[in-house]
Amino acid sequence: MPLDLSTLKILDPSRVKVLEAKLDELTLEVDGAVYSGVRPRRPFPFSHPEIVIFYRGDEEVGMLRDYRKLDPRSRELLEKVLKVIYFMPKVRKVLSIRSVEGKYEWRVVTDKGEVSFYSWGRCVRVLHDGRLVIRDIYGRAYIVEEPEKLDGRSRLYLSMMI
Amino acid sequence: MPRSADEEPLKLYPSPDELPAQVKAALKDGEEVVALAVTDLVGSEYGEGYVVLTNSRVLAINGKVSEEVPLAKVTAASIRGYINTCVLSLDTDEGPRSLAVFTRGRLEAFDKLVTIINNLVIGKIPYNLLKEQLLNKMKSEQSRKSARAVLVKLLGLLKPIAPLLAATVAVAVAIRVVGLVPPYLMKVLVDEVLTKARADYLPYVIGALLAVNLANTALNTANAYLNTKLNVAVTNTLRSRVYRKLHELSLTHYDRFGSGGLWSRIIDDTNRVQWFLTQAFTPLFINAAMVVFVGATLVTMDAWLTLIVLMPIPVSVTGNLIYRKTASRYYHRLWRKWSRIVSVISDTINAAVLVKSFGKEPEFERKFEQSQDEFERAQMDVFKFEQRIWPAVGLAFTASSLLVWWFGGKEVLKGRMSLGTLMAFTSYMWMFYSPVFGLIDNVRNLQLLAVAAGRLFEILDLEPDVVEDPDAVDIELKGAIECENVWFTYDGIHYALKGVSLRVRPGERIGLVGPSGSGKTTLAKLLLHLHDPQVGALRYDGIDVRKIRMRSLKRQVAIVLQNPVLLDATIAENIALGKEDATPEEIIAAAKAAKAHEFIMRLPEAYDTEVGMQGSRLSGGERARVALAAALLKDPKILVLDEPTAALDALTEDQVTEELERLTRGRTTIIIAHRLSTLRFTDRIVVMENGRVVEEGTHEELLKRDGLYKRLWEAQLKGLTRMGAVEVGEEGVRVEYAARPQHA
Repeated sequence: MPLDLSTLKILDPSRVKVLEAKLDELTLEVDGAVYSGVRPRRPFPFSHPEIVIFYRGDEEVGMLRDYRKLDPRSRELLEKVLKVIYFMPKVRKVLSIRSVEGKYEWRVVTDKGEVSFYSWGRCVRVLHDGRLVIRDIYGRAYIVEEPEKLDGRSRLYLSMMI
Repeated sequence: MPRSADEEPLKLYPSPDELPAQVKAALKDGEEVVALAVTDLVGSEYGEGYVVLTNSRVLAINGKVSEEVPLAKVTAASIRGYINTCVLSLDTDEGPRSLAVFTRGRLEAFDKLVTIINNLVIGKIPYNLLKEQLLNKMKSEQSRKSARAVLVKLLGLLKPIAPLLAATVAVAVAIRVVGLVPPYLMKVLVDEVLTKARADYLPYVIGALLAVNLANTALNTANAYLNTKLNVAVTNTLRSRVYRKLHELSLTHYDRFGSGGLWSRIIDDTNRVQWFLTQAFTPLFINAAMVVFVGATLVTMDAWLTLIVLMPIPVSVTGNLIYRKTASRYYHRLWRKWSRIVSVISDTINAAVLVKSFGKEPEFERKFEQSQDEFERAQMDVFKFEQRIWPAVGLAFTASSLLVWWFGGKEVLKGRMSLGTLMAFTSYMWMFYSPVFGLIDNVRNLQLLAVAAGRLFEILDLEPDVVEDPDAVDIELKGAIECENVWFTYDGIHYALKGVSLRVRPGERIGLVGPSGSGKTTLAKLLLHLHDPQVGALRYDGIDVRKIRMRSLKRQVAIVLQNPVLLDATIAENIALGKEDATPEEIIAAAKAAKAHEFIMRLPEAYDTEVGMQGSRLSGGERARVALAAALLKDPKILVLDEPTAALDALTEDQVTEELERLTRGRTTIIIAHRLSTLRFTDRIVVMENGRVVEEGTHEELLKRDGLYKRLWEAQLKGLTRMGAVEVGEEGVRVEYAARPQHA
């Protein structure tokens, strides 16, 4: 018997409305029913960021195949929450990488400002689309959106770590 | 006396002169010897005996014919293994007959003999076909024996980079030749320019020296470039050959070499071959060229002095040989002592709990001190030994160079030789020594190269034992599987499957149960054609498995192994292994079906989480569910599940089993399980014991039969009852577990 796609509870974006957004929680209206305390999660945060599953506690409310098809107001509210849940500075420039006592000290400029952090040796992951995810010793991730467009120095630093 | 290790203990179709007289005497007219196996034991003493397989009989001979069994009476051949010895035994119509005893050193040879006999008597392979196969095999084996043959083969393998190899050798030789020029120019400078005060020659000589230096620099750069390129090219060529070969190998080979063994062959042996190739092969040409060029130069300058130059060579060659022979012992001892230290340290760290809880610290400290002392002594012995050899060799060289100066100086004083010539001669003399010793090294390294290359060819020459026919075709499976009288062994001694016959109808769901080691997993792998049976036939929808394209088969079957291994990739990628163009929805649906979705969504990166090497970042149960999701996404015609729920807790197991019941409907499914409750939805249960199918039927039928299945079932119930299921009421448990199989 083939796989049963109905277990996915796919929602029709035109019938979903985000009413309210606060930190990581939403109030959602689906087919007229209102759910509060709903948390959105991306099943594929890197490879398909447009897919979102809504949870209330452990219970799945449903899944949006592409949340960008929501009405503009709902989309804006949802993105506000997603930005909190999937906070991830984008690296614009690598200033330096130094080896310090078995760790690497990074100084980078991100869209959120200049940051420095420590990483272990194997810390850069190359995503399928060529983006890079750098992970520090606390597990925090920093993303490099278009590594090939960085300045030469930054690229040299990064190539040391890949 | 044990025979030397190089002698071949198994000869296939030996020529008459290869047969010992006592064997010849035992043969009848027209009887053809298929195989001659030589034992290294007679009873419990070293000695030579023979087991002869002819086209009609099996004979055991030592001095006289001690056993004689007509092939027609043999039902199977097998080997029983003991600590050091093995016994070859034949099952006959009249019971088992032990034929010969040999040490484990001969196991491989006798294993081949057993396979040949079994192919004849169990597999019923026509004699002519077997003969053809064996003769073909012999041909390919002979070609890979000698060191020279291995080296020739290696060169064949490296053909694509032959121009590069040639260029490297050419440039390296050129460097040495150019290196010969400066001493000659010095001679000209001293004799023609300085002594005769010819100022007009000076610019030319200096210019020539400069040109030679420039050429040298250019050549050295080219040499460095070519060497680097060659090193990389050699390893890459070899490694990709071995790597590609890996995919051709069947799981049997993986089992035989072990993952570590294969690993070391890809990584270490390719590096070793590369190292020896650059250390032995290229320098061989360079050194040979140097010996010829420099030698010729020396002789033309002064033949008598050249004899003096040759003088220390025998001394030093002897010294070298002694050194090689003895040094290895000293160094081996040093290495042993070192590993003692390492093992004490590693015991202390790895078994810290043991050492501390038993209060063994003082003992370990004493052991450590002792091994340190021994290491120090061994180190000093190496020093002392080297001091005995090298000064003597050095002295021989000093003596010869002093003699050259003595006799050469006399010649110069008598005016029979120019000062420049003597100076140039001494320079060339030192240039002559190093390639001579280089050659000795090269020859030795060439032997080591042959060994390393031989290990590579062991892999490269393996014939894939799972093969498809050249005329194999793609087919759409309906799902019927049939195996008939299948025998299979991993190691040649123990048969994991002994004549298993099983028919599975399309869409039938079979439970495979039996004690550990009864052959369930082997049978499951065989049913997917991951192994080829040594004897017997395997058919899908009535078509012999070899007639079906491997690719088409793999597309339609899936297996989830016990303790599945995942790829170092994301969870989504691991699930999508089952289907190349899987959509995110399908991946989630498969994970939901395998009850993996919940735990995956709890991970911050959810399906995009990387699982680490072999899935190490997930627990055993999580890995099992991801692997199951991949198999379900593949939507295979035939699904084999080897203990799919073993790593799961009871609750999850129950949920997964429910889900499996639904997903396996209409799909040929074989489920191996220890927990019999997992098999509640199967149509038929096959019970295996000791490599054989012992019972078959539904749960109810088997319970009535009072056999192994019933015993297994009762043991599981008893375990549950004892665990305090009493609280629920013994009956309650019985009802719950007995009710389920009735679904089927």
